[in-house]
Amino acid sequence: MFLAHRNLIQNKTRLLLSVGGVSLAIMLILLLNGFLAGMNRQITSYIDNSTGSLIIAQKGVDNLLGATSLLSVNALEDVKKVNGVNDVVPILSQFVIFDLRGKKLPAYLIGYDPNQGGGPWKIREGREPMTDTEMVFDDVLAKRNDLQIGDKFEILGQDFTIVGLSENTTSWMTSFFFIRISAAKKLLRNPGAISFLLITPEKNIETGNLLKNLNRISGINAITKNEIADNDIRLFAKVFSAPIKLMVFISFLVGTMIVGLIIYTATVERQREYGVLKAIGAANQILYKVVITQAFVTSLIGALLSILLAFSVGNWIMAIRPQFLILFDPLDVLWAILAGVGMALFAAFIPTRVLAKLAPAEVFQK
Amino acid sequence: MTSSTLRVSHVTKRYGKGITEINAVRDVSLSVAPGEIVLIMGPSGSGKTTLLSMLGAILKPTEGEIRLNGDVISAFAEDHLPEIRLRQFGFIFQDFNLLSALTILENVAIVAELAGMKRNFARKKGIDLLNGLGLGERLYFHPRKLSGGEKQRVAIARALINDPALILADEPTANLDSKIGHEIMKLLRNIAKEQNRSVIIVSHDQRIKDIADRILWLEDGQFKEMMSMAIDPICGMSVEREKAPATLEHEGATYYFCAKGCRDEFADNLKKNGVVGSMIF
Amino acid sequence: MIRLAFHNLFQNKIRFIISVGGVALAMTLILSLDAVFTGVERQITAYIDNSGADIFVSQKSVRNMHMTTSSMSRSVITDVEEIPGIEKVTPILYLTNMVVSGKERNLAYIIGLPENAPMGGPWKLFEGRSYPRTGETIIDRNIAQKSKIGIGDDVEILGRKFKVVGLSEETTNLVNSVAFISISDFIKLWGNSNSISYLLIKINPEKSSSDIAAQIEANVKNVTAQVTADFSSQERRVVKDMSTEVITMMNFIGFLIGLAVMALTVYTSTLAHRSEYGVLKALGAHNKHLYQTVISYSLLSVLIGLALGIMITFLLSIILTYLRLNLTLAISGVSLLKVSSASLVIAAISAILPIKQIAGLDPAMVFRGK
Repeated sequence: MFLAHRNLIQNKTRLLLSVGGVSLAIMLILLLNGFLAGMNRQITSYIDNSTGSLIIAQKGVDNLLGATSLLSVNALEDVKKVNGVNDVVPILSQFVIFDLRGKKLPAYLIGYDPNQGGGPWKIREGREPMTDTEMVFDDVLAKRNDLQIGDKFEILGQDFTIVGLSENTTSWMTSFFFIRISAAKKLLRNPGAISFLLITPEKNIETGNLLKNLNRISGINAITKNEIADNDIRLFAKVFSAPIKLMVFISFLVGTMIVGLIIYTATVERQREYGVLKAIGAANQILYKVVITQAFVTSLIGALLSILLAFSVGNWIMAIRPQFLILFDPLDVLWAILAGVGMALFAAFIPTRVLAKLAPAEVFQK
Repeated sequence: MTSSTLRVSHVTKRYGKGITEINAVRDVSLSVAPGEIVLIMGPSGSGKTTLLSMLGAILKPTEGEIRLNGDVISAFAEDHLPEIRLRQFGFIFQDFNLLSALTILENVAIVAELAGMKRNFARKKGIDLLNGLGLGERLYFHPRKLSGGEKQRVAIARALINDPALILADEPTANLDSKIGHEIMKLLRNIAKEQNRSVIIVSHDQRIKDIADRILWLEDGQFKEMMSMAIDPICGMSVEREKAPATLEHEGATYYFCAKGCRDEFADNLKKNGVVGSMIF
Repeated sequence: MIRLAFHNLFQNKIRFIISVGGVALAMTLILSLDAVFTGVERQITAYIDNSGADIFVSQKSVRNMHMTTSSMSRSVITDVEEIPGIEKVTPILYLTNMVVSGKERNLAYIIGLPENAPMGGPWKLFEGRSYPRTGETIIDRNIAQKSKIGIGDDVEILGRKFKVVGLSEETTNLVNSVAFISISDFIKLWGNSNSISYLLIKINPEKSSSDIAAQIEANVKNVTAQVTADFSSQERRVVKDMSTEVITMMNFIGFLIGLAVMALTVYTSTLAHRSEYGVLKALGAHNKHLYQTVISYSLLSVLIGLALGIMITFLLSIILTYLRLNLTLAISGVSLLKVSSASLVIAAISAILPIKQIAGLDPAMVFRGK
């Protein structure tokens, strides 16, 4: 539509404002969704990266991060006996609060046996703990707090020496730290304690049946990793997901309002010109097309720009605040473009009403 | 000489430079006495708007001088001009230009408030003026609820509220039908005479000639002798006698036409009716 | 001129709704997010604040309860009791676990209480008994309601069945509730009889609690002793420190949204009234008069939006208390101050572009039929 493009380009400030507004709104949507995806990835990073596909928790406990799970002493032996279980790795884990430079940081402390597994999945520097006073620290947090290999760090009143720095274990609420399981037992003053068992089934074993057999053991809850990951996400989502989703919705609304308002003003301002077009015989449909094309082009340019913006702003946020992870799903990007199209359609609604009511005779008055 | 409200001496307005240079107004001089009503007429593009803008201290002349009550307003600094416009001039426009969001009383009072009058006084004065103009019943109406004639009366009230020395009216009757237009102009004339205010009207409208004390013809940025102008009896356009595209002699009188078509029509009418007819006014 | 702004604001309904609604939305967003966390901060210390203790003793360097663990040797009890000025000592065991009833699972602080504990039990009872014996539990009233159970029914805690004997009030927050069981049951399930989590201490009212806390730390090894108010503020800081950056980010987004909407509506409004501003200029209005109008316009709509936003948030907080969602919105003065100043900044920035637009307006346009 020739006229639509001309109308759009004629007022540069307005075009800039509307494209800017839309790209801002869609960028927010992308960033917020990316943030949510990143948060979920961070929450489940231990479950996603540790050994095994099933997890045994205390009966009644169905998440890793929310509750302290306590397995009975014989659980390990009982589980090992179940047919189809290939490997069992015990861990003792507990949330603790670290004071880092006067800031409180929730840290998920995992006690594991380096010979069996369940520890850090990627060590950037150093090694796994060999004694009960050694630990693996998160590399990003170490850098931010000027901690290096060989430095001492106090947990629950006991000093640990940092011997390794792990990657992909940072988060703003669920950073993972590793010590030996024997050290964890001492720290928690519970020599027999085990929190979870990470189970690797034998090949060709049907998961459903295995879970059924495992759940016959009293006092335990055997579930798949996927399930436990979902539960953890739900737990944290309770606090953060709702406000973020609300913001996504509001961003969409704002984007729509911005395009709508600008197309509306542009239409009202050219009301007379549209009246002339009507008077010389243009059907309403043609005028609608002009308005809708304007809204559509604005939104589309805005949407494309927003993808660029979101990527750069996302990377910038992650560079200055490494504990935040922002993940862009290609599907999200597609959604963003669709959101732009949606905004255009909503935004064109009121201006088309204005045009529909326009009387062609208006040209002759005035 | 000092008795003139407005004295315009050799005023020129040039736009652009070099090849694109245009003299919108060239070497115009004019004096307006207190209480005098001057009507400036002329074809589109003759420089009427430019002249009016300069007279109204909205635009500065390139050359020449404009004096208002002895002050050389054309030499005033740019940021001093709004003050002059506010206190010395009253403006009346073709499109009325009332503020759509305000009631008509507010439309009138706001100009007094801008000039520093206290709100209550401004309203009081506005009410008096509007009452005097027969709009007492409409004080709290919004402009969109008024007829064209009523809107223009509001504009007159607005132009008068700061007691200006000079009222400038730009095509004041263009959006009014002829009866209302004439009434409004008579109203303006009465006010000017009673209150001894000068009025300059720029218009195409032949029908308001009778209210003016003096009529000036502006063409190509210059005043032309009104005497040398004739009216085309068919279409009513003003035509310069020497340059008229067509003329016709009939019973000792010379008629001037804007085009041959008008002359032919005139001749046809003569043949059919034997009289000088079909004049549109 | 301020009145002109006022009239312009109300003249176009759609623009008015968008501008005021947009700001209200943005401000509600900032306020309610703040309020959620302030609410969580307040709720999360409910147990500590209502425990009745003057001092909390915990494992060395453990300064709070939420998302952490504390374990000390039982010998600490007698060591502490020997310090003069201490009247009562109540040891509790604590960890975070689930209260399970059928399909309903709810996260809860599990508190193991000694028999006849003078402190640390439920402080407001809705129904039933306030202390649990072996095999019994007191759970939160809202959790019971959600699970459709009452007194006499069974729930599962730490993988074992308990009979509900009491329902407590004020013991839920957004994340978890509190459930009380007997300390002997807790020890059996924990599998370790030599350990306790926290000591709740009541002192002689004539003594200073901070002095005694210092004495405890000096005389007993490997413990941290804090006055209840400090312990409580450490607990709040856990929530605060964890949420500060997220809140900052979200606040910034809210601010941007408000700014985008406001800047745009002030701009389009000025655009729509462009010819009228030109008329005013021709009539002799100074630029400063017109700026005044634009600034008043933007300030007015921002303030109305702000007031609306505050009202919505207050309304929301009232509605939420009736919905029993365990979510309280607590609007703090700091938060109000923050949104108010954000609003002023929005109003100021929004007026910049329109002011430039007006400054460039040629009053001669009035004669050219616009």
